[in-house]
Amino acid sequence: MTPDGRGAGTATGGAGGTGPSRRRFSRALAAALPASLLGAGCAAPGRGTGRPGDPVVLTLLSHYGGGESKEALRGPVDEWNATHDRVKVRTTAVEFDDLLTTLMVRQAAGQGADLVHPYCLWTGQLVRSGVLAPAPPEHAAEIRRGYGTAAVGAASAGGVVHGYPTELQTYALYYNRRLLREAGIDQPPRTWLELEEAAYRTTRRDGYGNTLVQGFGLSTYDDSTTVGQTLALLASAGGAFVAADGRGTAIDSAAGRAVFALERRLVDRGASVPGINMYQAFPAGRVAMVIGAGWWTGSLTSRMGAAYRDVGVAPVPVPEAGGRPGTLCTGFLLGVNAAGPHQREAWEFLRWLNAEKVGVGSGTGASTGASHKAVGAATRMSVLQASLGSLTGRADDMRVLLGADADPNLRPFLEALAYAVPEPNVPGAQRAKSLLRKGIEELWTGRRSVDEALRTVRRQVDQEVARSW
Amino acid sequence: MVSTLVPERAGPERAGPERAGRERRARPVSGAADGPPRTRRRRTVVAYLFLSPVLLFFAVFLVLPLGFAVLLSLSHWSGFALSGIEPVGLDNFAALFAAGSTFLVPVLTNTLLFALGTVALALGGSVLVASCIERLRFQGLWRTLYFLPIVTTVVAVGNVWKYMYEPGGLVNGVLNAAGAGSVAFLADPDTALPSVVVVQAWASLGSAILVLTAGLKSIPESYYEAASLDGAGQATVFWRITLPLLRPSLLFVCVTQFLTGLQSFALITVMTKGGPGDATNVAALEMYRRAFSYGDWGTASAAAFVLFVVVLLVTLAQLWVFRRKGEEA
Repeated sequence: MTPDGRGAGTATGGAGGTGPSRRRFSRALAAALPASLLGAGCAAPGRGTGRPGDPVVLTLLSHYGGGESKEALRGPVDEWNATHDRVKVRTTAVEFDDLLTTLMVRQAAGQGADLVHPYCLWTGQLVRSGVLAPAPPEHAAEIRRGYGTAAVGAASAGGVVHGYPTELQTYALYYNRRLLREAGIDQPPRTWLELEEAAYRTTRRDGYGNTLVQGFGLSTYDDSTTVGQTLALLASAGGAFVAADGRGTAIDSAAGRAVFALERRLVDRGASVPGINMYQAFPAGRVAMVIGAGWWTGSLTSRMGAAYRDVGVAPVPVPEAGGRPGTLCTGFLLGVNAAGPHQREAWEFLRWLNAEKVGVGSGTGASTGASHKAVGAATRMSVLQASLGSLTGRADDMRVLLGADADPNLRPFLEALAYAVPEPNVPGAQRAKSLLRKGIEELWTGRRSVDEALRTVRRQVDQEVARSW
Repeated sequence: MVSTLVPERAGPERAGPERAGRERRARPVSGAADGPPRTRRRRTVVAYLFLSPVLLFFAVFLVLPLGFAVLLSLSHWSGFALSGIEPVGLDNFAALFAAGSTFLVPVLTNTLLFALGTVALALGGSVLVASCIERLRFQGLWRTLYFLPIVTTVVAVGNVWKYMYEPGGLVNGVLNAAGAGSVAFLADPDTALPSVVVVQAWASLGSAILVLTAGLKSIPESYYEAASLDGAGQATVFWRITLPLLRPSLLFVCVTQFLTGLQSFALITVMTKGGPGDATNVAALEMYRRAFSYGDWGTASAAAFVLFVVVLLVTLAQLWVFRRKGEEA
């Protein structure tokens, strides 16, 4: 047990609805084995006495563990620590791949950070497990007022806001101008028909059947390339992956069928080769078009050098000309640990970081390529994200930070904030995403037909997600 | 200070023959049973004091985690708050084998196929290579070369082979040079698992060769001389002398390779992440994902116990087969 009263048993969990004997059994077992197992590690580091007026040290767990992101976060945190005497902030960073595990283990050991920076996909899971505290009314109102719908949706669970949206990623179509031009195409595709035609025309193979250039990049490399682009296409067709109540899937629909059929055609006709790592093939000029998230622009700029001038970005094509645009939005949120003893101070720090505006001067957001000349004001988080080549859900901040001479490839991502739909973040969303990914891969590899894949995904997701409620 | 480790002179004879006989039956180590009850108690306490670091180690790192795993396998837990552990009886086990669950097919079947394929390839390959090395000069050099994959990290091995399998990689380059078309080894569900099995077998060849080489060297030369005098051919010598006398080494290689194969995780994570689809998904990877990615510690722990039972049954079956052929474990 910690000096401030936080221990392994203080966090609220999902137990409920069970009979008295079950509850007794649960309490006895939960108290015996885990307590003895974790007893040695339960003492939290000194983070203040908790008495009013005494110094407080807030811990912040994020995935900004190295390079530019670590430095970018250090700036505002150092500024806070220099200007606030009583409440200090200490950051702990891990790699993104270790973020959920670290969060889980530290929380179970009673050493959860006061401020957490999770991927929005996990929001439902973290809320259900009693990790994320709901935003106090004044903060929730500030978030709803200052951020776009997609950003608010990504940081909410069940309609309740649980944190400040931070980095936000919308999906758009990356294309290689040179490859399109060589195929006699001057403009990026705006409809699925144009997309297919451009994909077939730009595809090139050698005599052994090896693909030299993929027309449209479908890749099994990771969730982002497999699921992200499929959900972006689904959103452009007006479909949804998860039903409105969050208790089942809605992908087995006309829109879902159209997306799966499109991808299957692209693979069957050789325009897409899913086994290739897209993050290597596109910068190498071996992919004509691919749907990706906004963060990739920064990576492509540094990796491609002069060849980056061939890269263009356009909105995700829609099924038919004149259709409403649609795409996917993913992101992170900064929230407060429900088991934390200094929640008021934690929310105050988040407001200072995410809502309080500062003057934006020349040189802010260097990595975006923008040059700023005291053009306006933006939040510290927006400045931080712009410096990393990323976006926040505050469109007005982003317009200020990206300026007139910023990388034009960032514009479609910024504009997409207005119509993007947030990634489903219900409890079990990570599991649902993995099952969808498997379903998509089985579709691409010909293991299942379009209808079989849709049926299987629906059945598996409904079954597994139901377990999470 | 009196040393409690010095044997007391008071023997069983002093306490009477009947008691001495009883104590000898109860405690086969006669020295430890010597002395009056107080002395014995003191010795027992001291013995446990000496054992306590080891017992504590086992308690913390074996008994408690095992008990916790049993508890979790019978509960629903998201992994965050210990107070959220909710007992659900055998529901987790039922969920693993429910209709539509992917755990039995393809996850568990993939695990068995992976282990079986690895053992078959590694065993066959290592017998062949070890026999060849026995006839070569510079045996140490050859053994070292084959042992190199063992000292290389799995991540490096997996990544190198991944690039070799890619459409423009070395393997497809060889196929193309031979006039054949390219094969999407890791992207095709039909070839993905066999492709990873080959890598696992290749990576584990070195240790198997070391064990088998030692086994080959322990076979008396006189058997081969006698066989030669009797006019036995090389194949006969191999089947009738080498292979039967290698059985203890083969048993060891077989059991350890099977155990490694059944618990394989890292190589598959690096090479395919279990895909495409579930084509290369195995039990250890599935458990890890259920626990750390999906926050479903209940079914993850239940899956761990199912895998434990499978490993136990497979190992017992191997021991039984070898014992029937006259080999003790």
